[in-house]
Amino acid sequence: MRILLIEDDELVADAVVRGLSIAGFTVDHAASAQSGRAALRTEHFDLAVVDIGLPDADGLSLLGALRNEGTAMPVLMLTARDTLADKIRAFELGADDFLMKPFEQAELAARCRALIRRAGLTPSGVVRLGGLTIDLNGHQLQVNGAVVELTRREWLVLESLAHNLGRIVTKDRLMQALAGWEQDLTPNAVETHVSRLRSKLGSAAVIRAIRGLGYRLDEAGEMPE
Amino acid sequence: MTIRRRLLSLLLPALALLMLIGGVVDYRVAILTTRNAYDQALANTAAAFAANIRIEQGQLRFMPAGAGGALESGAIYAIVGPARELISGTPQLADSEAASARVPGRTNYWNAQLQGQLWRAASVVTRTGAGPVHITVAETLERRAHTQQVMLIGKLLVDFAELDLTLLLVWIAVYYGLRPLDRLTDQVERQSSRRLQSFDEAQVPGELRALIVAFNRVLELLHDAAQAQQRFVADAAHQMRTPVAGLLAQLELLQQDPGAAALSVQLGSLQRGIQQLARSANQLLALARAEPVAALHENLQPVSLKLLVEELVERYIDRADRAGIDLGAEALAATVTGDAGLLEDQLENLIDNALKYAPRGGHVTVRSGVDGAAAYLEVEDDGPGIPDSERMRVRERFYRMPGSAGIGCGLGLAIVDEIARVHGAAFSIGAGPHGRGARMRVRFGAAS
Repeated sequence: MRILLIEDDELVADAVVRGLSIAGFTVDHAASAQSGRAALRTEHFDLAVVDIGLPDADGLSLLGALRNEGTAMPVLMLTARDTLADKIRAFELGADDFLMKPFEQAELAARCRALIRRAGLTPSGVVRLGGLTIDLNGHQLQVNGAVVELTRREWLVLESLAHNLGRIVTKDRLMQALAGWEQDLTPNAVETHVSRLRSKLGSAAVIRAIRGLGYRLDEAGEMPE
Repeated sequence: MTIRRRLLSLLLPALALLMLIGGVVDYRVAILTTRNAYDQALANTAAAFAANIRIEQGQLRFMPAGAGGALESGAIYAIVGPARELISGTPQLADSEAASARVPGRTNYWNAQLQGQLWRAASVVTRTGAGPVHITVAETLERRAHTQQVMLIGKLLVDFAELDLTLLLVWIAVYYGLRPLDRLTDQVERQSSRRLQSFDEAQVPGELRALIVAFNRVLELLHDAAQAQQRFVADAAHQMRTPVAGLLAQLELLQQDPGAAALSVQLGSLQRGIQQLARSANQLLALARAEPVAALHENLQPVSLKLLVEELVERYIDRADRAGIDLGAEALAATVTGDAGLLEDQLENLIDNALKYAPRGGHVTVRSGVDGAAAYLEVEDDGPGIPDSERMRVRERFYRMPGSAGIGCGLGLAIVDEIARVHGAAFSIGAGPHGRGARMRVRFGAAS
């Protein structure tokens, strides 16, 4: 999986290139918006990691230009300016994720992986996560290679989670996803479906509950402690 | 003292005094006018009597006939011949006439005390063949007094009404005349402390224009200062975070490097040091952003507290996991008008603070909602809590509670407090559930 890092700060760039390489990615580095654009025009990348504060052009305008050209490649924005406004603007312009400096290498790698996975969904429709293989088009789940039968509702929950790898899916959204199938859906019903789904996944992956908020599908190893 | 009160206190007593003097003068003039009118009527009666004096057989006779001799009721007369003999009428009046100061050729008026009553008398002299005859007519003052009384009461009533009306008109004029001041005051008040919109100079009266022009100039200076500070903070954030991010990322790689395994303790210290540096830098910048001058900048917009809670809980969930703390949300819909960036700083500092003090295995709950009419943000932990005596002090900059654990520079709650202040919100520190831990709440003026 090939990533283009567009970042002008040498210290950060050097660490990210090495860190993502260790995590198994192939990483190219451009130190300016212009050289980044040039690289994106000539080569194929699965993901771009773009710093917002570039010397020659704003990373956000670079993102806007890419999206205007119709590039669907996922873009993760890095920023040293910690305002929600920047983040909202980045998402409006078509960013897929947003990370603030300073960040942890492990988190950056995890997010890159999640983004590439998500982007890969559209053509193949298959998500692989730890011991899970989720075929979103074929509506099939394999746990450690064995097909596992899911109820309609369990499948809808899993589908929502798989579409949002690395992100929290709120209980509200899960309820909306299930609403077509159950008339008077209670938050408790969502919990029931999630817990049944959990037992079917076994230790192959984790459905992490975030109290009061929702759920996140994690790799079993990603869950600390 | 208000200008309005000052104007009224200058105008009203002066006007009242003026009206009073006017009333007295009017009254005097009215008294004189009635006296003259009554005197004239009396003189006319006396003159009419003169026409009824005849000489019959060498004797002067008074022969009242027709209207000429009619007397008003309560009137008396005395006709005295050339030899001071009483021809007809009341003898006492004749005596009084004799004592009065006569001016030849003119009607003579005087006040007389007769029969225990006060009289007004008028006498004329008419020439007859037998010599001059003095005709005196007198009437009691009762009628005049009655008329004057009626006039006085009428006059007083009119004056009183006039005074009231004048004062009312002056009050209304002063009130409405100063309305532009009220409008300007309203406008200034409406400008919340965080807006720096200049005032329209064309909309204020001439007297206030110079003031407004000067005021606008000050606002402009403030506006420039606010922008300069915001730019500085944004640049400083970028300049400080980027190298810190580079250092931490490099350090993380070094810690994974088997060649550096022997140094893991030192690298761990180094990492904590840099993390502390990063945190302090973040907090100083957040504090600078929340400074009243920087916060004057117009960044007000509707901010969903529910989304803010969800966003920040998601941002901090991994850190909470690593610390073994159960971080949760109870996000109910609530919207405030505020600076989204500052509110984010505020909630971040509250969560950061709670995660720092909650014990491993503890709970931190982040809430938003509407209580009464007020939206609130709340973070609750089951850590050691903050004793009553420290609850004010912990909001001071760089103050750290004695014996507080972990790293920190004592800015977190100062930032929360500052941001609450610029939003007109109240920041309160209480105890958590069952009196354990801390519950930090920011209550906004009114939910919108």
